[in-house]
Amino acid sequence: MADGTGGGRISGPRPSPSFRQVGIVASLTPADRRRPPLGRGATPFWFLLPAVLITAGVVLVPVAQTAWLSLQDYLLYDPDNARFVGLGNFAKIIRDEVFWISLGQSFIWIVGVVGLQFLLGLVAALLLNQSFWWRGLARSLVIIPWALPSVIIGLMWTWMYDFNLGVINDIALRLGLIAAPIAWLARPDTALYAIMLALIWQGFPFFAVTILAGLQTVPAELYEAAEIDGATARQQLFYVTLPSIADVIATALLLRTIWVANSLDVILVMTGGGPGYATHTLPLYAFLRASSSMEFGYGAALALILTAMLLGVVFLYVRRAARGIEA
Amino acid sequence: MERRTFIKLAGATALATPLARPALAQGTTTVRWWYHFDNPQHSPAELVAKFEAGNPGIKVQAESIPWGGGNDYQTRLFAALVAGNAPDCAMVRLSWAARFQQMKALAPIDDLIAGWAGRGDIADNIWTINKGADGKQYYLPLQYVVLYLYYRQDLFEQAGLKPPATFEDFRSAAKALTKSDVSGFGLRGGAGGFDHWGPFVLGGGASFEKGGMVSEKALAANRWFVELTSKDKVVPASAPTDSFRQIVDSFKAGRTAMTIHHVGSANEIVGVLGDKVSAVPVPRGPDGKGWTYFGDESNAVFAVSKAREAAFKWCAFLSTAENNVVLNKFTGQLPIATSAAKDWTLHPKRFVDASAASLPFAASLPDSPKTPDFIARIWPANMQRALLGQIQPDEMMRAIEQHFHG
Amino acid sequence: MIERRSYARRMLEVELPVLLIVLFALGPYAWMILTSLKPQVELSAWPLNYWPREATLQHYNDLIARTSFASSLGNSLIIAIGASVLGLGVSIPAAYAFSRFRFRGRQMLLTGFLVINMFPVVLLIIPLFLMMRRLGLIDTFLGVILGHSTFAIPFAIWMLTSYFNAIPKDLDEAATIDGASRLQTIRLIILPLVMPGVATAGIYIFITSWNEYLFAMMLSGQAVRTVTVALQLFIGEFTIQWGLLTAGGTLIALPVTFLFLLVQRRLVGGLTAGAVKS
Repeated sequence: MADGTGGGRISGPRPSPSFRQVGIVASLTPADRRRPPLGRGATPFWFLLPAVLITAGVVLVPVAQTAWLSLQDYLLYDPDNARFVGLGNFAKIIRDEVFWISLGQSFIWIVGVVGLQFLLGLVAALLLNQSFWWRGLARSLVIIPWALPSVIIGLMWTWMYDFNLGVINDIALRLGLIAAPIAWLARPDTALYAIMLALIWQGFPFFAVTILAGLQTVPAELYEAAEIDGATARQQLFYVTLPSIADVIATALLLRTIWVANSLDVILVMTGGGPGYATHTLPLYAFLRASSSMEFGYGAALALILTAMLLGVVFLYVRRAARGIEA
Repeated sequence: MERRTFIKLAGATALATPLARPALAQGTTTVRWWYHFDNPQHSPAELVAKFEAGNPGIKVQAESIPWGGGNDYQTRLFAALVAGNAPDCAMVRLSWAARFQQMKALAPIDDLIAGWAGRGDIADNIWTINKGADGKQYYLPLQYVVLYLYYRQDLFEQAGLKPPATFEDFRSAAKALTKSDVSGFGLRGGAGGFDHWGPFVLGGGASFEKGGMVSEKALAANRWFVELTSKDKVVPASAPTDSFRQIVDSFKAGRTAMTIHHVGSANEIVGVLGDKVSAVPVPRGPDGKGWTYFGDESNAVFAVSKAREAAFKWCAFLSTAENNVVLNKFTGQLPIATSAAKDWTLHPKRFVDASAASLPFAASLPDSPKTPDFIARIWPANMQRALLGQIQPDEMMRAIEQHFHG
Repeated sequence: MIERRSYARRMLEVELPVLLIVLFALGPYAWMILTSLKPQVELSAWPLNYWPREATLQHYNDLIARTSFASSLGNSLIIAIGASVLGLGVSIPAAYAFSRFRFRGRQMLLTGFLVINMFPVVLLIIPLFLMMRRLGLIDTFLGVILGHSTFAIPFAIWMLTSYFNAIPKDLDEAATIDGASRLQTIRLIILPLVMPGVATAGIYIFITSWNEYLFAMMLSGQAVRTVTVALQLFIGEFTIQWGLLTAGGTLIALPVTFLFLLVQRRLVGGLTAGAVKS
């Protein structure tokens, strides 16, 4: 079985259990001091400098400014009368009913969209990794949803969901799946899920491509060994393939979670957050407050809360990654 | 092209672009103007060329900015004002005026208007609507639309009905015309839908004055309006999030028998429905008072402009009769200049007439920094919740009252 | 050697599911193409007609001849390539360092790259605009490319770090023992192996930059208008130019798809070409 291959000539990408650091960021320090043979001196500094310079130069200042704004009562159209209110914005947010509604929906949004994008992407990647004569074409066609700007996606799906003229209602009616057209985007019980489907459609190619690339790095020897051991295809999947690309999967999930958590343009185009608050998510609400109300202080505070919660996700990830990276 | 060439190109252009900006040559004033047209196939280039020919020494740099539901345009404009690189003048809305005032972005232009020959060609009531809260003029009117009721002549005739003049006429007509796959009224509950709500609720007695949203009359009018959906069921199920695109498309497709919009979509609708469609002013309330939305568009010269007079000249040029006609051919709205309106042929006459007949009771929204937020956030969220029965109609009105008057 | 599936079984287990996924991916796009071929009057016809009664290329014609779409396409290409080159150029060394070096503050720095990316862009845009204005980069290619690199770099670094990590370190060590310098090791051993990852990160940056709207809208003006901004101009206040919009949407996906058709060969190769048996 797969376990037997670990001691082969080329060790697998996963660290052997004895090496695993079970811990959090703080517990990495001893490992850092261990000084593995590959890294020494000031070399990493030069490798990192360009990336750090550009990122710090371009984003750090705006992020710091926005964080500072969250402590103020700042109206874009009235910058002269901005007042420092300390945590006043946060206190207001706690009492804001819309914040709590948006928070709950953000949770459904992130879990649903990322989860299904991932599952669909994983299945697509595994299939597209098989060889068949039109594989190259299939790989390129699958990427199309990802190649479209959000505004087009939002408008196209709105058009397809249309109550009177939409193709989705029309097909469902013809097939007898529904008796009367459904106002997908106007019903509080369907609107959020309808938009989520559009986003799942848009984003699953990302996972497909990322995982597909990850699959190429799995050493062939692992499969050979597994075959010799008589592992079935399913066993190979669970004991060779998935563990080998676990690191890539985790990173893709993390990056996608951040991206999906922050994405609002498709919602904005499709329902603008309605009906009522049915499709409000946290970044959308922050956007509405910042953009249409021009309350940048309040919007920034909402955004900071979202960031803090995403940090929680990163924390979980780092716990996991700490084991992999330290190998 | 070689990938490498592209990169070089990118680098070279990136460096060259800031240098390539037209420098201020001696004696030439450049006027930067921001605009938005609904159809990007139209360009103001011909107007710019004509203006520059008549005004040597002034160059106009016209830049189209994405409208983005109003948000993008506004954000871009306000950010530019904050950053200090705003254009000299731009197309603007009355509902933003209070915010511009608050950030001292505008200066009165009464002196310039006084010296402009074309001022008499713009109707007095438009000057009145356009006035700032302090009675001074900050905007130069450019074009307008007025909302009225589109209705299906053929369906009305078949049902033996006359176009509705009162609320109750309207309701019974909507009920009579609602069939299995046709709804009586294409109600706009999504973005910008306050223009469907206004005629019935503001026209029915609500106002933006303190207490005006929660008076007995106002609450009753709003309940009546919500009941069109909840009780009478004369609107499509998608009404809560329908926006202009949906209401116009459904109407064109024959799925609704009436809707409220303006001349901007007249040609598009007639293109499909021909003579089957006509228009009248929106119905009026029991006391004969009415309300319909005056959709304004003006130009403003910003206070920071170093080319104030040249910028005003350009804006005035656009609002002058024949130029105003050309501009409105691009935008599909109605010319602001009275002389230009006379022989207006861009839209079928019945829709221009309906617009004109609506003008006497057309109004804009209050001149308050809170108005854009009312349009974009407060109204849609509360209206939709009321339409879906998530809140009582009266709660919606209290939320609006709260928004404007704390 | 054990694999001896019959052709029919292979079709059922691989090609049919792939076909379903491709259909799901293509469905809305196909609907967009059909819409773009319908003349104006057919767009809101009811009952729905699926196939255009009179197919027309009018919208494509108008799009190219009468709007700024074509030149915007060029601008977007420059910006997306610029962002990819810049992003990969600084991310590959950084990711290598994160994967192969252990140094003080490494974890913090790596996390830091992510954290600044977690902030909703919509709130950063105004401060960013003010900064770009001070730097004189508004409406320049460099300005938009830098704007896009803000999300490109952190994502690319993270993705590449995990691809680097997936390459066994024994290989570096073996090369070092054989007397290769670090740069030689990177060039001859590591980079070829990590190519699928580099291609993926490159595609990621390209696509994200290609589709990005907000930065492009705020940081560009008439001079470097991107294709997403040009598309947004078709969505007016009172009308949507459906024909132009769907024609534009159809075209906008093509460069990316072709690019991927070229790049996808890279996704096979490196360490394991042909390893995953049929």
